Parts: sequence; C-alpha cells; structure tokens
Amino acid sequence: MIRLEGVTKVYDGSTVAVQDVTLEIQKGEFVFLVGPSGSGKSTLIRLMLRQELPSEGDIWVSGKHITKLPSWKVPLLRRSVGTVFQDFKLLPNKTVYENVAFALEVIGRPRHVVRTQVPQVLRLVGLAAKADRLPQQLSGGEQQRVSVARAFVNRPLILLADEPTGNLDPATSVGIMKLLDRINRTGTTVVMATHDHAIVDAMKRRVVALERGRVVRDQHRGAYQTAGLPTAEQAPAMVPTTPGPVPAGPAPAEPPPTDGEG
Amino acid sequence: MRFQYLFGQAITNLRRNGLVVISAVLAVFVTLSLVFLAIVLRRVVDENTGRWDDDIRVIAFLTDDLTLEDIDGMQREIIAWDGVDEVVYFTKSQALEEFRELFADQPSLIEVVEEDPSTLPASLRIRPTEAADYDAISNRLAVLPGVRQVSSADAAIDNMVTLSNILRVGAVAISIFLGGAAVVLIGNTIRMAIYARRDEISIMKLVGAGNWFVRVPFLLEGAIEGLLGAILAVAAVIGMYRWFVPFFDAFPDWIAVDIPVEFLIQSSILVVLFGVAAGLLGSAIGMWGFLKD
Repeated sequence: MIRLEGVTKVYDGSTVAVQDVTLEIQKGEFVFLVGPSGSGKSTLIRLMLRQELPSEGDIWVSGKHITKLPSWKVPLLRRSVGTVFQDFKLLPNKTVYENVAFALEVIGRPRHVVRTQVPQVLRLVGLAAKADRLPQQLSGGEQQRVSVARAFVNRPLILLADEPTGNLDPATSVGIMKLLDRINRTGTTVVMATHDHAIVDAMKRRVVALERGRVVRDQHRGAYQTAGLPTAEQAPAMVPTTPGPVPAGPAPAEPPPTDGEG
Repeated sequence: MRFQYLFGQAITNLRRNGLVVISAVLAVFVTLSLVFLAIVLRRVVDENTGRWDDDIRVIAFLTDDLTLEDIDGMQREIIAWDGVDEVVYFTKSQALEEFRELFADQPSLIEVVEEDPSTLPASLRIRPTEAADYDAISNRLAVLPGVRQVSSADAAIDNMVTLSNILRVGAVAISIFLGGAAVVLIGNTIRMAIYARRDEISIMKLVGAGNWFVRVPFLLEGAIEGLLGAILAVAAVIGMYRWFVPFFDAFPDWIAVDIPVEFLIQSSILVVLFGVAAGLLGSAIGMWGFLKD
C-alpha cells in the first residue's frame, strides 16, 4: 500500500530530517511511527501526502509512484488518503456537519452522496447528535472525532494520522484510538505518528521507531520501546509522563463506546 | 451546484475585503475611463482630419514673368505627379476678388492691396489625393522654375496629425502605467482574500480539491472587480460624451463630434474585455506562489 525506498529529505540544504528510509506497509496494516520530536515522523507523513518531495529516493502510495506524480494529479492522490492532525484543523465558522460535508463538496461529490455519507460517518464517530454544533462548542476529543470523520467520509484506502492524540488527555485518547482501530478493521491502512507510550504499548501493533531521521527498529506487535534499550534522548523526558505501559490502553477487540453505526 | 459554489465563494471574498475591493475597482475605473476617453477623442480628431482633407489645397504662387503657355505647361506637368488630383490656375484678378471677400470687413487692407495689385500674385492651386501627400507636393513645387513661394494649410494638418498621435501614445502610456497599478491593486485584494481563507484552502488541498477548484473563486473575484471598473468607466465616458455633444453642436463647421454608434459600442466592448483581462491578470499575480501544494 505504501512503499518508501531509500528516502532522504534534507531541508534548506543542511537539516537532515529523514535519512535513507526504506519501508513497506501492507494493505490493512496499522503502523505506529514512534520517536522523539525531530526524529522525522511528521516529515514522513508529509512525504506520503506529497506535501513535500524527498531529496532522494522513491515513494509509492496505493500503487502510484507519487514522487513522479505530476502536480495536477496530486489532488487525486489526496482523495485516496485521509488525514488527521494534532490540531484538528476544523473550520471554526462551520458546523460539525458542514465541516465533514466540506471534504466531499470540494472534491465535487454530488449533493445526494453528501446527504447520505455525512450522517453515516457522524454516527460512526458518535457525533450524530451534535451535527449542528460549532467546533468551539465541542470538547477536544469531540473535535478530533469530527476531524476523523472528515478524513474517513470519502472512504480512503489509507488514513495518515500525525499525533492525533497529542492535544488530548489519556482517557479521551483511548476513545480516538478505538475509533482508528475500528476504521482499520474496515480494511483501511492506518499510519499514525505518535510519541504516546501508553497507546503504542496497549495496541500491540507494528511499530517503526525513528531516531534522527533513520529507522532504528521495525517490529510487529511491538511496544514503544524495547525493554532494556532506552536511548539517551528518550529516557529522561519520557519517564515522568508515562506511569506504565499497561493500564491506560484499551483492548483493541473491544467495541468502541460510541456505537450506532448504520 | 459547482458553479454556484465557486461563484458564492468569489462573492464572499469580495464582501470580506470591501474597502480594498472598492479601491481596486476605482483604480480600474479611472484607468479605463482615461483609456476610453483617449480612444473617443482620437476618433473625434481623426474624423475631423478626414473632413478637412477635402478642403486642403497646396498653393504655388507664381512669378510675374510667366506667359500663359508657360503656365499651361506647368499645369500639365503637375497634374501628372503622383498624389495630385486637380490643378487650377488662379489669376491675379481672381486673387484680388477672393481677397476682397475674405477681408470685406477691413476696407483699409483692401485699399492697400488695390493700390498695388502686384502684391497678390497669380497662383496654381493643387488638390492632393490624400492630406498626407501635401508635404511631398510642396517640396517638388518649391524647386519648380517660375514658382515664387509655396504655401499650404500645413500647420493645421500637422496639428491634427500630432494631436492624433499624442492621443494614441497617451492612451498606450496611460494603459501601461495606470493599468499596471490597477492590476497590482487587484492582485493585492486577491492576496488578502487568500490570506483570509488560508485555513480553508489548506484543508481543501488536504482533502484533494482540484487545483482549479481552489483557484477559480479567486480568478472570478478578480474578473468581477475588473468588470465592475470597466462598466463604470464605459458609463462615465459615454455619459460625459452625451453631455458634451450639445455644446459642440453650436459650432458645426468648426468641429464634428458625431461618432458612429457602432464605434462606441465596439470600443465599449473592448474596454470591458480589457477590464476583465486586467482582473484575471491581477488575480493570477495575486495567486502567484501562494496556492502551491
């Protein structure tokens, strides 16, 4: 589904953000990109979205060689990729319904498609009752659910999430993770950049660890950090914020609390 | 629905930056008014130069020592030149007659001339095919034996031709300088509109809105600004023209301001297209480098 080969990204000719990354992600996988700030997680997400072009190397996304894609075809690529960010990126003057509908309207979907798909996805994320609210009337977790709904409303093959729980408290994060897990179960490939230990450890999915732009670990059913191998940067910063790997995490098989999918 | 959506976006943009939009529209209005005014004035001048063409004569005053045969020979020679339509011999007595008519209200002048009739020489009056030919004809006449002096209405013609050229050059210069300013002002309004919508645009790009879907509202906005300015300019100039015409009607011989209606319609359409083009160019400049990715 996503393949990177020898990808290097250098900003301004000197700052190396990503260095010689080769990675293959299969259809339907759930992959965590972990690592400290500045390790290149966000750059990788931007490269997969073709918001940036790599300095070297090739990237394929859903069969398209996106590093060779002409710029007028980039919108088509983005329609097959949903995106969720730490800061939600909702339009403050539009209601929940309008924010989600916007994603369909601007790619020219007919009105009847908008009318059926938006309520459907709002039920999936558990916000059907708050469709007419404005973003500022919602909690952070609810806003992120709207953003997930917007990313998923067009049924993309791939969902890229850059620190989706970065602004949320642990309990709320669990809800978002359940939602992403549920979307993953529909066959959507999910790639999530995070530095939230608890989530990664609880989900027990594939973990790709980055450090200074390089892949230092690629582990199936992995944890944030291999026991006994704390790196110099991670250890002091992470210890106070993470009580332990186990209790906060949800059991992935458990149905999400926000049921009502049609 | 798509067009409605795009058009709605453009209108929202226009409303959001009311003052800047008004300044851009006014800039287009002033520019195109001057351009249109220059076009109309030039047409008036050309119309009048054309009307005067028929009345232009090159006059060759003859020396007194010529026989009638000499004059006949000169007439036949001159009529064979390129650009000469007609050569008429004007005798001394005819010249005196004409002088009496022209200066009927100044008897003292007539007295002076009548005392010494030789002051009014006989002449050949030559009608050029085109007004512009008079210069070449004058030059050839000047070196012809038996010609004392050559005169023509050259200063008046030169003035009209110069005025016509000034208006043409002026129209081009105005279009370039003020047009440039108007385009930049439109570009500025577009940039402000893009800035006001930057979050929306980044989300549109993120969810895969087509490049043209993002651009069209801004192009429409620029085109509407150009169109409004052009319509105002056309209305102002035509209004002004119609207001002025009655004043000139009082001097029908002096200047004719009757411009064909088709010409006014054609140049109005041209001015409007020019305004829309300026608007599109302005928005293209405003978007330059701002709507990548």
